[in-house]
Amino acid sequence: MKYTSQSVALPYFIAAIGLFVGQIVFGLAMGLQYVVGDFLFPEIPFNVARMVHTNLLIVWLLFGFMGAAYYLIPEEAETELYSPKLALLMFWIFLIAGAATILGYLLVDYATLAEMTGNNILATMGREFLEQPLLTKIGIVIVALAFLFNISMTMLKGRKTVISIVMLLGLWGLAIFFLFSFYNPGNLVKDKFYWWWVVHLWVEGVWELIMAAMLAFVLIKVTGVDREVIEKWLYVIITLALVTGLIGTGHHYFWIGTPGYWQWWGSIFSALEPIPFFAMTVFAFNMVNRRRREHPNKAAVLWALGTGVMAFLGAGVWGFLHTLAPVNFYTHGSQITAAHGHMAFYGAYVLVVLTIISYAMPLLRGRAANSQRAQVVEMWSFWLMTISMVFITLFLTAAGILQVWLQRVSDTPMPFMQVQDQINLFYWMRLWAGVVFAVGLVTYVTSFFIKGESKPLITP
Amino acid sequence: MTPLSASNSALETTARRLPGDLAIWFFILAELLAFGVFFVVYAFTRANHVELFNAEQLTLDRTSGAINTVLLLTSSFFVVRAVQVAEAGFSRRAAPWLAAAFACGAGFVVVKIFEYAEKIGAGISLSSSTFYMFYLSLTFFHFMHVILGLVIIAAMWNGARTGRYGPDNMNGIETGAAYWHMVDLVWLILFPLIYVMR
Amino acid sequence: MSGTFTKAMARNIFYGGTVFFFLLLVALTVDTTTNLHKSDNSANLTPQVVAGKHIWETRNCIGCHTLLGEGAYFAPELGNVYPRRGPEFIKAWIQSQPTGAPGRRQMPQFHLTDQELDDLVAFLKYTSEIDAQKWPPNIEG
Repeated sequence: MKYTSQSVALPYFIAAIGLFVGQIVFGLAMGLQYVVGDFLFPEIPFNVARMVHTNLLIVWLLFGFMGAAYYLIPEEAETELYSPKLALLMFWIFLIAGAATILGYLLVDYATLAEMTGNNILATMGREFLEQPLLTKIGIVIVALAFLFNISMTMLKGRKTVISIVMLLGLWGLAIFFLFSFYNPGNLVKDKFYWWWVVHLWVEGVWELIMAAMLAFVLIKVTGVDREVIEKWLYVIITLALVTGLIGTGHHYFWIGTPGYWQWWGSIFSALEPIPFFAMTVFAFNMVNRRRREHPNKAAVLWALGTGVMAFLGAGVWGFLHTLAPVNFYTHGSQITAAHGHMAFYGAYVLVVLTIISYAMPLLRGRAANSQRAQVVEMWSFWLMTISMVFITLFLTAAGILQVWLQRVSDTPMPFMQVQDQINLFYWMRLWAGVVFAVGLVTYVTSFFIKGESKPLITP
Repeated sequence: MTPLSASNSALETTARRLPGDLAIWFFILAELLAFGVFFVVYAFTRANHVELFNAEQLTLDRTSGAINTVLLLTSSFFVVRAVQVAEAGFSRRAAPWLAAAFACGAGFVVVKIFEYAEKIGAGISLSSSTFYMFYLSLTFFHFMHVILGLVIIAAMWNGARTGRYGPDNMNGIETGAAYWHMVDLVWLILFPLIYVMR
Repeated sequence: MSGTFTKAMARNIFYGGTVFFFLLLVALTVDTTTNLHKSDNSANLTPQVVAGKHIWETRNCIGCHTLLGEGAYFAPELGNVYPRRGPEFIKAWIQSQPTGAPGRRQMPQFHLTDQELDDLVAFLKYTSEIDAQKWPPNIEG
């Protein structure tokens, strides 16, 4: 840590990990509800558990992105953060608003919550991932603007590197495209069309800029490869990401009442979407192979390489599996979608946030790297979580293939619930893989509390 | 570095040097891949609907397509001349060649707008039929490339005019030229594929 | 093969390519918006349908069901539930929840009024008449 104001990243990272634990708890509950349907009913019905699971994911990733920005922007700009006080204030506002929203989901009936929070003035709730009450949505915008103001001012008064510019572009894009969440016309097709301007243009657009910038930052630090080299490749990779990803939005416009030509445009461009992810993998491995120093933080290198591989598998390969319109006609909205969603989010965004946490956390705690013992535990947690996520994905894919076959391809299609009974075994296996994931997460949290002789921080 | 040694080193590396910036070649490869997949999909779809494609292909304006082919080829030639002149050390003299290339490209745009106006007037849209979907998608996607190419040529013209290019600074002009040649190349496949081949 | 690879050029291509493809997305969006009335069933978008959509949203139906394939995958697709089950079955089904069958997936009781039930059914009818390019493949969704 070169600048004292970077330490505001610490509470952000801690909150991210805490909410991650919450996300997995609700994930396990849902996994159980898939096989024991009335588990926790009526206290926490599936729809509430899912809302908490997905919203916690989004919120903790946002905490991770913000923490990453507060950590890396001052270091890149070579100056103290514009206002550490504002950053801390926003942390508490965001945390309290987030916690209040989650408690609202759990304790208040959703329709009542909608009424209490002004949904009748401007209806924005009840759409997948955008379930937040209007007040929370406005809160997110305010926090995002204050955050962007803070880091933009920091960059403007200091050195403007490619990494910070790309990071800022991604974060500004994140805030701007979120504004489409306030547009909810009565026309369902239009509603769905612009809903994707938030969801797709986030995860297959601007978030990729944030991810690539974070990865590039860590790679510069742990490999010592020339900044010029890394920054050039960063530009090439994000160009490929947006060239394929922007029109790739079309792969969501196949069956929602939009014109038929999206099947062609969407298929062709989204078929190219694995390319930037593949480039990112090659890039990460290449930089590590060309490293000019042996960084004491081996765990951070592992997370970084894992991000490359798992993002390519989850977003690239599993995305490509069902992105072509003739395939998607059968797989749309099945467990195959769920399989892809799980590995893509884990591989790209969960891992990149854990990468930066792994790199920055020891420095924020005043050492260059954690003790050998702590790192070994941390690396164990990487393998436990990653391998169990691979199995979650494989089991859901198997469930999905069977579901598609019985319910959609067969000459005598079965009703939905009957098919669900047929694929129950895969849901059980997914649940056990989920339990292993939770063990991995506990291992991860434990690694922060393992003492031992750590590498001292050498201040230049 | 003296001008002599600069041109010497330029000579030594000419044989094996990739013209233009490596970054544009990644971009060109991605673009060619997108166009290539689009072309292959067109070919397969046509094979399944030969009669529809043949019938509707007759409604396309081949004359304007042919004029546009000539315009783009000429334009590419002018760009080649501009690059040669710049490499010989006469950056400012490259500017008129680039202006001529721009004029040809602009001519392409004008002809295309007339063609589109006629088609839209006839009520043809992306949703009219599979053939028109391909015709409009592919030509419009290419049309936007021409417009971007014109912006790039304008920037190159500005650079040439201010004397930016020379034997030791060919990156900008060569990169732009590579992009423009790609736009030309794509049209050379697109025109016969969609307008002519039966 | 040697070549030049500069950061400035990579940057220019990034900005140029991004603006280019974003404009292309905007162009396709404009075309979609102007032609949407042909497929989006907006001719039947009555105030009752809008009211039904409001019920759909404020009961968080998407948290278990899919609608035109989007949502959660815990409960059946409802984009075509209107032709699959018919209006009376849908209303009776919603009113009789939860089944309370041990170990089975449960749907909450929403205490909807008759008016709200009619609105919701109107919304599901309108949704089923959207031209979704023949999706889903069959009536089971």
